[in-house]
Amino acid sequence: MRDRIEGLIGRLVRASIVERVAIAAAALVAAVVVGGVLVFVSGGFASCASGLDLAGWTFCYNPMQVYYELFLGALGHPLEGGWHVHNFSLATTLRETTLLAFAGLSVAVAFRAGLFNIGTQGQLVVGGLLTAVTVLFAARFVPGGAVGTLVLVPLGVLAGAVGGGFYGAIPGALKAYGGANEVITTIMLNFVAVGVTSTLLSWRFQDPESANPQTRAVPEYAEIPTIPVIGYSPRLDFSLLALGFAVALMVGLAWMLARTSFGYELRVSGVQPEAARYGGVAEKRMTVASMTLSGALGGIAGAFWVLMQHGRWLENVPSLGFDGIAVSILAGNNPLGVGAAAFLFGVLSSGGRSINTATDVPPELVGVVSGLIILFVAMPEFFRMIGRQFLDVDEEPGRGTGGGADE
Amino acid sequence: MSDLLSRRSAAVALAVLAAVTIAAGLVFPDSWVGTVLSVLASPGTHTAMLRLAVPIALAAIGGIFAEKSGVINIGLEGLLIVSAFSAILVTFRLGAGESTALLSNHWWGFAVGVIVSTLFALLFAAVCIEFEADQIIAGLAVWLIALGLAPFASRIVFDSPNTGNVGTFDAVTVPVLSEVPVLGYLLFDTGPDVYVMLIAAVAGWYLLARTRFGRWVEASGENPKALDTAGVDVRKVRYAAVLLSGIFAGLGGAGFALGQLGTFAGGGETDIGGRGFIAIATYLFANYHPIGALAGSFLFAGLDAVQIRLQTYGYAVPTELIRTIPYVTVIAVLVLFGKTRLPEAAGEPYDPDED
Repeated sequence: MRDRIEGLIGRLVRASIVERVAIAAAALVAAVVVGGVLVFVSGGFASCASGLDLAGWTFCYNPMQVYYELFLGALGHPLEGGWHVHNFSLATTLRETTLLAFAGLSVAVAFRAGLFNIGTQGQLVVGGLLTAVTVLFAARFVPGGAVGTLVLVPLGVLAGAVGGGFYGAIPGALKAYGGANEVITTIMLNFVAVGVTSTLLSWRFQDPESANPQTRAVPEYAEIPTIPVIGYSPRLDFSLLALGFAVALMVGLAWMLARTSFGYELRVSGVQPEAARYGGVAEKRMTVASMTLSGALGGIAGAFWVLMQHGRWLENVPSLGFDGIAVSILAGNNPLGVGAAAFLFGVLSSGGRSINTATDVPPELVGVVSGLIILFVAMPEFFRMIGRQFLDVDEEPGRGTGGGADE
Repeated sequence: MSDLLSRRSAAVALAVLAAVTIAAGLVFPDSWVGTVLSVLASPGTHTAMLRLAVPIALAAIGGIFAEKSGVINIGLEGLLIVSAFSAILVTFRLGAGESTALLSNHWWGFAVGVIVSTLFALLFAAVCIEFEADQIIAGLAVWLIALGLAPFASRIVFDSPNTGNVGTFDAVTVPVLSEVPVLGYLLFDTGPDVYVMLIAAVAGWYLLARTRFGRWVEASGENPKALDTAGVDVRKVRYAAVLLSGIFAGLGGAGFALGQLGTFAGGGETDIGGRGFIAIATYLFANYHPIGALAGSFLFAGLDAVQIRLQTYGYAVPTELIRTIPYVTVIAVLVLFGKTRLPEAAGEPYDPDED
């Protein structure tokens, strides 16, 4: 039984991996094209001193310039003079890549188990606050310096994972034992997370010396350390160690999914729930377990957001969890693919800032483009139709009119 | 059957809770229970509840059509965002308080809001029906695109993610009838958005339960093969149903924007703040009944109205926590009534060539 299912999944994966990459690339191109049209057209409604005049209308935005800033600005303009690998923009890109990798893994693990975890954002918010509070509390009893780093950083990341895992377990249990659809409950729990954490903040953890809603700063030695010489300056809020940890987690999760019996049961629950039940997988416990794991990864994203980027928890949490959905979908929910997709969205996120400084185009464009990428990835049939239209390829064996894998 | 039982026992439990609250409030008028009771009893809360119900009820009724036909429209939140934003934008551009072609600019904004939402629904329908996309992912994409598009456009026009203020619809007072106790101020002295909601709910119910089209929608979600055999184009029925969800959600979003908000904050979760998702919980709660969805929306909107008014009393309970009450209630409702049976073919594209 197990061998048969294993073989089936293996064949599906191998057959689709090339196509998956092709569709992801095509979706990216399509989203960029549509986004470019949007930029150009919306430039017709903006006001500016000089722009492109066409038939009496002035178009203020140049899509080519916008994409130049978006993609190359995110790397620190490598084609221009004076480029150095340790530049601010690239550090921002890699920091976003790291955080998005954790968030993307969180969404991907749930997806592989057949669950839509839209709640990574809330798990990140809760995990991040628990990280900050735990580290602030523990720092009183731990000596400073290297010992402090060795104790507090793992402790903080663990606290984030526990907080996020607990918050992810809630919708898992509600689904398993209450039958509540996890898409709706996780979205609602995102709102609840914001309300509860900001209540906790004003109740006990607010930094008394600041007017901003935020916790006190953790000691400097409790932040993610940077590698001397080859690493980035601590002022850039990015550590190669964190990126390394993210890569290790990707590989570890890929190994777990492919080689462990837990990973096997998780995948089968996602692909063929009936077969999983028949094969003796405790379905309800699996739902809770995979949501807990997913939440823990979201919590780790929150921990690194706190310990690497700000050194404290802020009430205004960026939408890393929602971007994680896009990362995971683009990656086909493959842990190793998450790395590549996270880098792409890291570029978009960091490039959004350079759009904001170098052009008049609103940085929210990045949100639109991410949404478009998801939309296009969701419709592979669209690209297959185009492919059939223009390439005149023979139908692949096993794929009829509707895409054999979906039926 | 067991589901019906739990619905009934929950109703009894709610009634008992309400009775205890009222008794406690009347005995101790100065306690917090008394305050809650006075908020619950105040006409202002009821009026606010009706206006806050507009986006939830209308999006829910739209969602019923889409899901009944076999297309789960989880992008309702996105439809509310685009319709609310474009309604404000157009009203602002035309000039608030003025008229174009004898019609108040608020109504032009309202119409454009509905059209934009319907166009988005058309896009969603094409993606799901024509290109057989995963409906949940495509719906999320619609939401995320709207979440980016509204502040994007807002920054171009207003130089800020928040729009300018255009004010709200004037209340329409029906002479004589508005003097009727209770029903008078609730139903005959209120905004046009509330009238739109009430009329649309009845129209939605009639369309779904009493017309041939309603039966087609039902069959398209339950047994598309049979509908096809009967000579009705399943794809056309699904297109029509998803477009209807766009129209209803558009009425809700534009009505909410012009009846309640008067301005649109596009930052973060936007002013819609998850009401599209609450709408989904509402129609599951109501078991796909349009009038039931209207009643369910009163529950969530009522909680919202109460929490808004409670904040003004300045209790030690922090506002952020009170604000989560509707969301927590959605979760509780889903756990208690979430086992609604989905239409048989919901979520799957229909392929006539399949055996």
